Amino acid sequence: MATQTWAEPYKIKMVELIKMTSREDRLKAIGEAGFNTFLLRSEDVYIDLLTDSGVGAMSDRQWAGIMMGDEAYAGSRNFYHLRDTVEEYYSYQYTVPCHQGRGAENILSQIMISDGDYVPGNMYFTTTRLHQELAGATFVDVIIDEAHDAESEHPFKGNFDFEKLDALVNEVGADHIPYVCMATCVNMAGGQPISLDNLKQLRAWCDKHDIMLVHDMTRVAENAHFIQRREDGYKDKTIREIVYEICSLTDAATMSSKKDAMVNIGGFLAMNDARFYEKACALVVVYEGLHTYGGMAGRDMEALAIGITESVQDDHIHARVGQVQYLGRKLRDAGIPIVNPIGGHAVFLNASKMLPHIPQEHFPAQALSAALYVQSGVRSMERGIVSAGRDKATGENHKPKLELVRLTIPRRVYTQAHMDVTAAAVQDVMEHRDEIKGLQFTYEPEVLRFFQARFEQVAS
Amino acid sequence: MKTMIEPFKIKMVEPIKLTTREQREQLIEAANYNPFLLRAEDVIIDLLTDSGTSAMSSEAWAAMMRGDESYAGARSWYRFRDAVQGIFGFEQVIPTHQGRAAEHILFGVMVQPGSIVPNNTHFDTTRANVEFNGGEALDLPCAEADDLDSDFPFKGNMDTAALEALVAEKGPEQIPLIMVTVTNNSGGGQPVSMANIREISRISREAGIPLYIDACRFAENAHFIKRREPGYENTATIDIAREIFSYADGCTMSAKKDAFANIGGFLCTNDAELAHRERNILILTEGFPTYGGLAGRDLDAIAVGLCEVLDEHYLDYRLGSTHYVVKHLLDAGIPVVAPAGGHAVYLDARRFLPHIEALQYPGQSLAVELFIEAGIRSAEIGSVMFGLDPHTGDEHPARLELLRLAIPRRVYTQSHMDYVLEAISLVWERRSEIRGMRIARAPKFLRHFTAEFERA
Repeated sequence: MATQTWAEPYKIKMVELIKMTSREDRLKAIGEAGFNTFLLRSEDVYIDLLTDSGVGAMSDRQWAGIMMGDEAYAGSRNFYHLRDTVEEYYSYQYTVPCHQGRGAENILSQIMISDGDYVPGNMYFTTTRLHQELAGATFVDVIIDEAHDAESEHPFKGNFDFEKLDALVNEVGADHIPYVCMATCVNMAGGQPISLDNLKQLRAWCDKHDIMLVHDMTRVAENAHFIQRREDGYKDKTIREIVYEICSLTDAATMSSKKDAMVNIGGFLAMNDARFYEKACALVVVYEGLHTYGGMAGRDMEALAIGITESVQDDHIHARVGQVQYLGRKLRDAGIPIVNPIGGHAVFLNASKMLPHIPQEHFPAQALSAALYVQSGVRSMERGIVSAGRDKATGENHKPKLELVRLTIPRRVYTQAHMDVTAAAVQDVMEHRDEIKGLQFTYEPEVLRFFQARFEQVAS
Repeated sequence: MKTMIEPFKIKMVEPIKLTTREQREQLIEAANYNPFLLRAEDVIIDLLTDSGTSAMSSEAWAAMMRGDESYAGARSWYRFRDAVQGIFGFEQVIPTHQGRAAEHILFGVMVQPGSIVPNNTHFDTTRANVEFNGGEALDLPCAEADDLDSDFPFKGNMDTAALEALVAEKGPEQIPLIMVTVTNNSGGGQPVSMANIREISRISREAGIPLYIDACRFAENAHFIKRREPGYENTATIDIAREIFSYADGCTMSAKKDAFANIGGFLCTNDAELAHRERNILILTEGFPTYGGLAGRDLDAIAVGLCEVLDEHYLDYRLGSTHYVVKHLLDAGIPVVAPAGGHAVYLDARRFLPHIEALQYPGQSLAVELFIEAGIRSAEIGSVMFGLDPHTGDEHPARLELLRLAIPRRVYTQSHMDYVLEAISLVWERRSEIRGMRIARAPKFLRHFTAEFERA
C-alpha cells in the first residue's frame, strides 16, 4: 500500500495508565514546582513531553533481553554483545559502557581537554558544554547562522560553518583544539540534521589540521532519516547504511542510548584509537564501573544492544519522525509559530513570537511551558535563556536567539490521539496567551540552572 | 529442627557452562592471570564479588515492571526515597548509579588536598575516591583485626583511641569527615559493634566532625550485633539498623550489596546545604536528582530489596551459610579469617602460600589456582589491591594478604559451596608447587581491576 501515513510498525503489548487532573490540581502543582516543569511529580502529568530521554517504550525483544542479563561483575556476556553490536552498526572498534551519556562526556572531557583549550561544535548542549568548561575548555559555536533563525527553511541547519572554524584555528591554533564536537540532529537548534556532504568536508578539515572528530551520536538514526529524505544520492540507501557511513567519518563518539536506542538507562564512549581506549578504561572504573559494565546492569547492556538494531530500521525511524512531523504540521497549520523545518525528536514552539509581550529577561519560554501544563497537563521543557545559563567569565546571561519550548516526543509511547490532544492544548494556550505573565527567579542554581530553578510570576 | 533451609525457593535459573581444566588453563592465561579479565561465561562458580550479582525476588522483579521512567518526579523516586528514609532516617536522599558515584560526590565536596579521612578500613573504590581528590585515606582498624585467629566478635571495629588521638592532633580543619565501613570488607567482612559506633560518634560530635557510614552491608552488620552484642538479643534487626544510623550524619550506600539490586546506590545526609552542593555535582555526572542515573525500575527494585534484606530469617540463613563454609575450612586446617564474616570467606594467602613473598602476590596466585582447579572466580584483597601508593608510585606489602570468596546473595546452594570446599582442599594439597606472580602492566588507580600478570 503506497501511502503518506506513518502507521506504527508495532502494536501495543503493555500499557501504563495515565490520569487526567483538574485545572485546580494543576495550578497547585505548578505553584509547588516553582513554575518549573522539571519539579513536577510525574503522577501529576497527563502527557509527558518533557524529554525523549530514557522514556521510550522498549520492545518485547528488549524486555526479553532484560531477562537475559548476565550480572557478573566482570566479563558479562552482555558487554561483548553490546561491543560487537556497536562495531557492526556504528563502526567503532572499542566501546566503554557508561551509566548514561553524561558519564561518557565526563570521561571524554577529562581525557582530551587541557586548561585553555577550545572545543568547537555545532551548537552547545547543556551538559556537554559544562563538562568541557569544567575540564578547562571554552566552547565555540561554529554552526551555520541559519541554525539560529527559527524561520529559516534550510534543510540541514545542523551544518558546520567552515569560515567560523577557520577563524578559530587562526586565532587559537590547532594545538589548542583537542577535538571538534559534531552532534547529529542538533538538539538545541530544534533537532536539526547535519548533511553528509557537510560532514565529509568537516572530516577533511579535521584531517588537514590534525584534529580529532568526536560524534555526539544520541540521535544519529533520526539524522540519517533526514539525509535519506533530503540529500542527493541517499534516497536508495538504508538508514542502517547511512548511520554507518556517518559514524565511519568520525574518530570517536559519546552516546546517550536513552534516545535513539530506546532504553531507559545507559550510554557509552566509543572510539577507534587503542590508546584512547586504554585511558578511558582507567578512568571509567573511577567514575562509572569496571570497563565491562561501566555502571550499567548486564540486562541494560543487552536491551541496548537489541535497541541499536531496532533503531536503524527504516520502518521504525519513518514512523518515529512521521509522528513528530504530524504534530508539527498540525500546529503550523493552526498558525502556531514553531521552528522550521520540523525536527526529528521534538516540535519546538517559538515562545518569543507566541508571547511578544514578555521580554526575554522574564523568561517567555519558561512561562509558556508552565502555562501549557496548567492548561492541559502536558509537560514540556524550556529551551531558551534559562537553559542557556550564564557566561562563565562575565556572569551575564547568555541570550540565545532562540527562545523555545520543546515538545519532545518519547519513542513508541504516545498515539496519534495523544498528539491531537497536545495540539489542541497548544492552541488553547495560544488563544489565551495575553493572560500569561512573565517569571522571575526565586532560586537560581549556579550550574545547569534550568533543572532545579524556581520562579514566581512578575506582577503585571 | 536444627537444619537451616533457605527462606525462599528458586523461581528462575541461569544455566552454568562447565569447562575442563585444560580449557581453564588457557582461559586464565588469555586473561593475563587476572580473574577480573575473564569472561563471565567461562566461570563455573563466580565468587568475584557479592556486588550486583545477587538474585532479586519475584517481588522485586514485579516492582521492576512498575518502574516509572519519567525523567523528573517519577513515582519510582518517591517510593525509593520513602524506603530509604524509613530505614536510614536521613533527611536528604540522593540516588546515584552505584556506590562509587556516591563516594565520588561526597569526597568531591568534602575532601581537599591535605585532608585526612579516617576509616576502620577503606574499601578499594573508597580509598581511590579519597586519593583522587588529593586526600589521605587512613585506616584505623582495631588491634584484633590483624589477628586472623582471634575469635573477637567485632574485628571490624575502629581503634577509637587512635581516632581520638588523630582528632586531637589534626582537628576538624584537616579531618573533613570520619567514616565507618559496616561490615568491614577489606578486614574480612567483620562487623562493627554498636558500642564502637557509639564511641566513634561521641568523638566525632565532640570534635564537630561529621560521621558517615559506608553502609553497603548494613543489614549483615546489624544482624551480627543482634547475635553477638549483649543487650541486643531481643531487639529487631531493623531497629538495630536504625540505631546505627542515628549516630551518623550521613551515609553512602551501594545498593548492589544489601539491597539485592543489580545496579544502584545512594548518598544521604542531614545537612541541607551540603546536599544542595552534592546535587549540583550529581546533575553533572549522574543525572537529575529524582533519578540520579538509575532507571525508574531500579529505584523500585532497591525500595523492595531494602525491606527484604532486614528479614531476620533471611539474615540467619545468610550469616549461617557463610559460617558453614568457614567452619569446614577450619576443620580441614586451611588458613581462613575467623570468625566468619557476613558476605565472604577470606582465605589467608600469606599462610596458605608462605613460600611466596608479599610482592609476588600470594593472593593473586591462589586466585589463579582456584580458577584452574575448579573454575571458581575470586578476588585478591592484598598487595595488588592496596600495595601501590598512586601519588609516590611506591609499592609496599599490604597489611593482609587475603583471597576473598564473596558469596552472592540467594544465588548458590549448599551443593555449590561443597564443590568450592573440595576445590580449596585440592589446591591446599598441592600448595607447595604454586608459584608467585609479577605485574606486567597496570594503571595507577584501582590497578587490580585491569592489571596484567605473569608467572614469576
